[in-house]
Amino acid sequence: MDKQFYIENLLDHYENPRNRYKMEDASVSITGGNPGCGDLVTIYLKVDSDERVIAASFEGEGCTISQAAASMLTEMLIGKTLSEVREMNIDAFIDEIGREVVITRPKCATLAINTAKAAERKYRAEHAPQG
Amino acid sequence: MTEIDPNISAKGYVRPEVLVSTQWVADHLNDPSIRLVESNEDILLYDQGHIPGAIQIDWMSDLNDQLRRDYLDSARFAELMARSGISNQTTVVFYGDKNNWWACYAFWVFQLFGHTNARIMDGGRKKWIDEGRPLTREKPSYPRAEYVAPERDDSTYRAFRDQVMAHSAARLPLIDVRSPKEFSGELLHMEAYPQEGALRGGHIPGAKNVPWATAANEDGTFKSAAELRAIYEEQLGLKPEQEIVTYCRIGERSSHTWFVLHYLLGYPKVRNYDGSWTEWGNLVGAPIERP
Repeated sequence: MDKQFYIENLLDHYENPRNRYKMEDASVSITGGNPGCGDLVTIYLKVDSDERVIAASFEGEGCTISQAAASMLTEMLIGKTLSEVREMNIDAFIDEIGREVVITRPKCATLAINTAKAAERKYRAEHAPQG
Repeated sequence: MTEIDPNISAKGYVRPEVLVSTQWVADHLNDPSIRLVESNEDILLYDQGHIPGAIQIDWMSDLNDQLRRDYLDSARFAELMARSGISNQTTVVFYGDKNNWWACYAFWVFQLFGHTNARIMDGGRKKWIDEGRPLTREKPSYPRAEYVAPERDDSTYRAFRDQVMAHSAARLPLIDVRSPKEFSGELLHMEAYPQEGALRGGHIPGAKNVPWATAANEDGTFKSAAELRAIYEEQLGLKPEQEIVTYCRIGERSSHTWFVLHYLLGYPKVRNYDGSWTEWGNLVGAPIERP
């Protein structure tokens, strides 16, 4: 697929974001980036008893790449187990969203996936066995 | 091109020919002697719609050397110009997002190669859109141009660390255009840019802090000459004939202030230190001041 395909796909996700809403009954949520300035993404995950993501959403603001990547990521997260989320390969994610387009803006491109991985760690910490 | 845009001349600048208004651009959309160049931080804004006929030049992928920390050499700059349909005679008009921050940076790099026939569109992308002017997603294609680039001349507008060290020691004017928290050392990087941080926080000894956007109005245009003199001369105490160095994090925000001081206020000896805090704050043994 050529560069223009990836550009069009990113623009489609930016202009028509998927799963962009505040999830009131999320199992875990976490915000990445810096409030008040630059790119900001909050990831919401809802998991079932098998720790499988049954719903994923995001909210945020910032540049086109950061927000489009968050939209694309939420589609990839649904159906994965939390272990699979932890193992998601960042390089592969960059390939998926269009390496040639986003490579000069790596922080923007990986904000959402890094935030999702932080959400997985937060969930683990909050659900660690007691005692 | 020597004509002065009347919308710009009213603002009282020493070098008004370096700015054009959105109306001037609208009136020259079909002028083949002009090339509109959009330079943004958000690299996909251009693809969402740009001024008809504009091309995009990206500061990172087009103007930087892709291996070492430096800009293009003259051969690669000439190639960039040729494939962009820009000849040595073409008037290049830059515009972009964030108060023309990146447009000024691209303009500054062009000056290292002596492309003096360059302008900035006052107010940038935001003002053009706010005025309801047309955008297109159609990417133009121009015939390849002939371009002869001289060797890059860093001596006039670019400052290097040893020069800045001497400049600081001599207590000559240094303008740190970063945010107050970066200047004070509270932040090691601009908020949301952790990959461009430094090991130490603070500022170069003797530097005064005037955040770059102080020179811009709410609509993204540059403040008038009278307003700029109030900031840089009355409040900061700069004198036009002084040797002045501006810096920020990587030299992009400070290119905006460099543009203001050198062109809009006409100071002859202003250089931009593009090594900036990402170099100074990591430099072993470099003196640092924290208020």
